[in-house]
Amino acid sequence: MNPDDLRYHKEHTWVKVSGRKATVGITDYAQEALGDIVYIDLPEVEAEVEINAEIGEIESTKATSSIIAPVSGKIVEINEDLAESPEVMNEDPYGKGWIAVIELEDGSEVDELMDASEYTKYVEEEIK
Amino acid sequence: MKLAILGAGPGGYVAAIRAAQSGAQVTIIEEREVGGTCLNRGCIPTKAIIASTELLSRARELDSFGLESSGEILPNLARIVDRKNTIVATQIKGIRNLLKSWKITLKEGRGVLSSPNRLSVSSGSGPMETIDAENIIVATGSRPYQIPALPFDGKRVLSSDHALGLTEIPKSILIIGAGVIGCEFACIFRELGSEVTLLEKLPRALATEDIEISEVLAREFRKKKIRLITNTNTDRMEAGADGVHVVLIDGREIFAEKALVAVGRAFNSEGIGLEEVGVKKGICGEVLTDGKMQTNIPGVYAVGDVVGGLLLAHVASTEGMIAAANTLGGDEHMDYSSIPSAIYTSPEIASVGLREFQADERGIKVKTGHFQFRALAKAHVLGEIDGLVKVVSDALTDRVLGVHIIGPRASDLIAEAALAVRTGLRTSDIAETIHAHPTLPEAMQEASEDVSGTAIHIAKR
Repeated sequence: MNPDDLRYHKEHTWVKVSGRKATVGITDYAQEALGDIVYIDLPEVEAEVEINAEIGEIESTKATSSIIAPVSGKIVEINEDLAESPEVMNEDPYGKGWIAVIELEDGSEVDELMDASEYTKYVEEEIK
Repeated sequence: MKLAILGAGPGGYVAAIRAAQSGAQVTIIEEREVGGTCLNRGCIPTKAIIASTELLSRARELDSFGLESSGEILPNLARIVDRKNTIVATQIKGIRNLLKSWKITLKEGRGVLSSPNRLSVSSGSGPMETIDAENIIVATGSRPYQIPALPFDGKRVLSSDHALGLTEIPKSILIIGAGVIGCEFACIFRELGSEVTLLEKLPRALATEDIEISEVLAREFRKKKIRLITNTNTDRMEAGADGVHVVLIDGREIFAEKALVAVGRAFNSEGIGLEEVGVKKGICGEVLTDGKMQTNIPGVYAVGDVVGGLLLAHVASTEGMIAAANTLGGDEHMDYSSIPSAIYTSPEIASVGLREFQADERGIKVKTGHFQFRALAKAHVLGEIDGLVKVVSDALTDRVLGVHIIGPRASDLIAEAALAVRTGLRTSDIAETIHAHPTLPEAMQEASEDVSGTAIHIAKR
């Protein structure tokens, strides 16, 4: 299920805030919808990203999909392991499948995101 | 009618055969070897080498197809180049035989116009010969453009001509220019195991293609670990004993064992008497012609790379056939609106007609349809799922204005698209045409359906 300590963006990304840093990944719903992930185009460290903008792309065996930034800020770390093992995003989207760490520009953006129960409802609506 | 043709590449020799078929008495003059750049230093040799690197790439995937091999499969560039040379030699012989069968006289040497009706031909040893003709077709082609800061030496600094003759795989290669030639060689050398850096001063690789095609290619380059640096220029370049050293304007430095300069082509329009006869040229030295391929001098025609525009063998050949017909009293005009092009990167790229950005520039309202090969069963069967088909159509009439493909067999798939653009088909025509299953052309059908949001294998958005 969607962990309670995360915040969720409507484009199916999540953030986990710790101080000024936010770890970002795709949700379980997203990985399920994409199917087997075969490649990820990671953002570059130091890149400035804006909320709602594309920060990377994911290719699965059936689709390519943009990764949308759930918050604005600067990329300070990326999950290099995904380059070799993109399938980790399928296996553990909220853990080892994290994509990047963003240094937050504006903490209030996080408050605008959905919490776990809101996101779960949102996804149920989307499936209907 | 006596016709003399200067240059026996795909423009010249095709013009020669077409004119001979219509009864002309044809002499064709060639300084190097029949077949021109296409056969000797371009299309055919690169594709022959790519045939090897493509097999190599597939061989690396044997395991995923359930095939087990007991030994490692390694490229031997000297033998790959040998195979390429054999293919080229066979094709040269073929063209020579064709010319002979049509009773076309082949003069080997350098031809120079001395008047609109006369050429002189000098070969290394023999005496100067004079050829009189009622019409002349200039088809002298183009050559790799050389940048003064890094002149070709054939050892460290290579042109595409040199690169096709390498017998040892360089550890690292810096390719200057991410156009068609640069991108094809980037894939070849990367597949062979070289570290490849590709420099481009424009914002994207293959800047004349549709933007989405360049984006997918850039992603494929990242997957292959081809380092593509766009929006850049070189500040300093030096070729030394141990390699090439380049400093970019942002201060970054690149060392490579070899550099391949692929920044464009220069026109072979000097030293062949064009100025003396009064033939007009453009600012880059390209020969100017009208739609009938005639220059400003009546009876003097020009075709192929030397007239500029699209430097493609099939364009040269078409221009050659048009010029040939017109020298015989015809009234044929060249139409550049539906010329397909194929780029043998990995995956392949092919396109025809309008790019979406061109439609925007011209204020044409368009709709687009996309289809990803990864949504196609046949692509999975082949194990080649990367890429897409993009259809650009007129928003008002639904006519197909352009098709852009990156993916498996793109160069074959473009034929249907070229027919659609040339004959003004609507996307509905393609969508309603039954395409056999399971085949790659289904992607063309689905992309056409997607223009109206009705592709079967795209999930509801």
